[in-house]
Amino acid sequence: MLNVSPRVREYETLPGLKPLGIPAVAPLPTGESEDTNRLVERFGDAILAAGLHHGQQVVYVKPEQLIALAEFAKSDPALRYEAIVDVSAVDRSELPISDARFHTVYQLRSYARKQHLMVVCPLDDRGEPEAPSLASVYQGAIWPEREVWDLMGVRFAGHPDHRRILMPEHWPNHPLQKQVPVGGEEVPFTLTWSDPEFESFGKQIMAAESKPPVLPPGMNIENMIINMGPHHPSTHGVLRLVVELDGETVVNVDPDLGYLHSGFEKTGENKRYKDFVYYTDRMDYLSAMSNNLGYCIAVEKLLGVEIPQRAQVLRVIMAELQRLASHLFWLSTHVLDVSGTGMSLLMYATRERERILDLFEMACGARLTVGYMRVGGVSRDIPPAFAGHLEDFLKAMAIRIDEYEAMLTSGPLWEERLQGIGVLTRDEVINMGLTGPMLRGSGVDWDLRRDAPYSGYENYDFKVPVFTEGDCYARYLVRMEEMRQSLRIIRQAMDNLPDGPFRVEDRKITPPPRAELDISMEALIHHFKLMTEGFHVPPGMLYHGIESSKGELGFFIYSDGSARPYRLHVRGPSFNNLYAISKMSKGAMLSDIVTNIGSIDIVLGEVDR
Amino acid sequence: MGLEEKLPEGIITTQLETLVNWSRENSTWPLLFGLACCAIEMIATGSARHDISRYGSELFRASPRQADLMIVSGRVSNKMAPVIKRLYDQMSEPKWVIAMGICASAGGPFNNYAIIQGVDKIIPVDVYVPGCPPRPEALLYALDKLREKQAKDSFRTYANLNAPPAPTVPDDIESLAALRQPQLA
Repeated sequence: MLNVSPRVREYETLPGLKPLGIPAVAPLPTGESEDTNRLVERFGDAILAAGLHHGQQVVYVKPEQLIALAEFAKSDPALRYEAIVDVSAVDRSELPISDARFHTVYQLRSYARKQHLMVVCPLDDRGEPEAPSLASVYQGAIWPEREVWDLMGVRFAGHPDHRRILMPEHWPNHPLQKQVPVGGEEVPFTLTWSDPEFESFGKQIMAAESKPPVLPPGMNIENMIINMGPHHPSTHGVLRLVVELDGETVVNVDPDLGYLHSGFEKTGENKRYKDFVYYTDRMDYLSAMSNNLGYCIAVEKLLGVEIPQRAQVLRVIMAELQRLASHLFWLSTHVLDVSGTGMSLLMYATRERERILDLFEMACGARLTVGYMRVGGVSRDIPPAFAGHLEDFLKAMAIRIDEYEAMLTSGPLWEERLQGIGVLTRDEVINMGLTGPMLRGSGVDWDLRRDAPYSGYENYDFKVPVFTEGDCYARYLVRMEEMRQSLRIIRQAMDNLPDGPFRVEDRKITPPPRAELDISMEALIHHFKLMTEGFHVPPGMLYHGIESSKGELGFFIYSDGSARPYRLHVRGPSFNNLYAISKMSKGAMLSDIVTNIGSIDIVLGEVDR
Repeated sequence: MGLEEKLPEGIITTQLETLVNWSRENSTWPLLFGLACCAIEMIATGSARHDISRYGSELFRASPRQADLMIVSGRVSNKMAPVIKRLYDQMSEPKWVIAMGICASAGGPFNNYAIIQGVDKIIPVDVYVPGCPPRPEALLYALDKLREKQAKDSFRTYANLNAPPAPTVPDDIESLAALRQPQLA
């Protein structure tokens, strides 16, 4: 399957990695921290390098000791890395380095100690790339590891469910490997209709292929097996669930993803840093602003630029408005799915959402895929009329939330359908690597805005709602309270909106103002360079997570110093949260699956990426 | 003049074709089917502010058997393409397709291994809507355009649907010459 020339290299050359003999493109940690020291002390030679890189704790470990390290990091009382947030891999075959081709990268999180640890595992180059699976330590690694196998072609030894997850089962390659082309079709740039370039236009090239359905492992044919989706009104997009039923009781659920896989990561590796901002809009299209924010912050951290205060506050306002819009959409569709009379609430909630979209339109001209934030700030300042409209909206919205709650919260039908449904305990959500309202609905007091502040969130006074029941009702209450807190944050931000520039003045990163182009040759050159070449990001490796409306949205960027990211990985909160659907639905009624999907709040654009 | 003079008040005459087209264009039921970002704008079109029911299209049907119109709202991946083709095949005639947004029309920004470069490679499209995503007003305009098309529909179009395809003319000279030979038997 791997169509590359064998790269036989002795793995033992790697320890030389530590101080010397490594080209600048290898993102090596420097310095030390308590946690890395403890790991080095415990594992000694198995740790190839350890320290801090861009302020994050990074440990390079040999694959033989990976599982032991994870077990130790999880159980040691001084470390307590109880959750795995993300798994990704880097194919380094196009880097001018000659050590291991594949690195797998793990993001571990300690909720108790508020610490983050990045573990990098360089894989043996001999034979097929294979890494030990962490699924036995962290349940949350199961799906991300399947994704790495699917897209990157790294096998995971000891994985309980080693199948492709996004691409079709018969797909010939692993698209994220560097030798696999981006694909797609040539775009015709011609004006002559007789040109052969136009030949394929409008032609029907496909017949519906009918294949016998493959039964997912662990399903019993004795029971009834039904298929939900990918075209189903309550799966919130193109999600397919294979459900095994005994009567109306759910025995087993197997989600089939990838019906909206759009190759974001591969596309990102072929775009300039500044151009990928617009792609992030289309990932979680219900919270485009949050996606912009997460990506821009990650790139800015790699660049090492400081964002002006006004831009930071504007970003917070937009991100919180987006959280409101996203939660409104979640509420309306959730109510529509769960209770038959929910059409009215859909109409009410979309009415308020339209007002938020109007505000976005005032700020940037677009409703849904905004592209408002840029690396280095925001695209333009808010217009003078924005503040007044926002004030009107905030006043109205506070009343509306109470109205929605009056319709739902103590309604017998709503309680009946949500209470005690999809229960997840505290240990389960942590072990599965769930984030966002899924965590807070099960009693984990964690919010990245408060616990790892970014974009100036430490300056705002807001509460993080936490409920301990762990059922769909608790998650509903969490999100309703989050909407109120978002209103509070927006009000504080508007009251303290500082004057000043809305983007950095660094001409290497942001374009000069239009007026300057007419009078300054230098500005023209900067503009030309930026638009044609983009900016170069210093070599390095970074994971940065923000609290999106669905949970932790993380961007992992591996830079080789060029104007394009060498590897761009997105940790979509919906993807990791959706893993819980099997656990939540087993033993419940068939109709509870619909409640559970709504309660997880997925967006398929982000699940499939 | 003519029949109208003889008819009692309240009765008008028209062609059957016009009548059928009139009812079709005022109750085009879309398939309840969303793919990506454009689906959100499609829902916005259906909600209170833009109110798609002014066009008689508010009844989104979950079953393809009951739908007249497929709004392909978003990017079509390789994995999804056979599903869309099957859904289209399951819709009963007459049926129409709107390719909503640039992804459904031509692949849009996703020119890569995963995305089909335009849904017209698998199913015929009646109206293309540009935009990423198109605003609700653009989708309503597309519905307007579709109504124009529906108004011109002729029964003949559907009568000939199951007819065998017209014989193609071979383009090389030798086989043309063979065709001109008098048939002996």
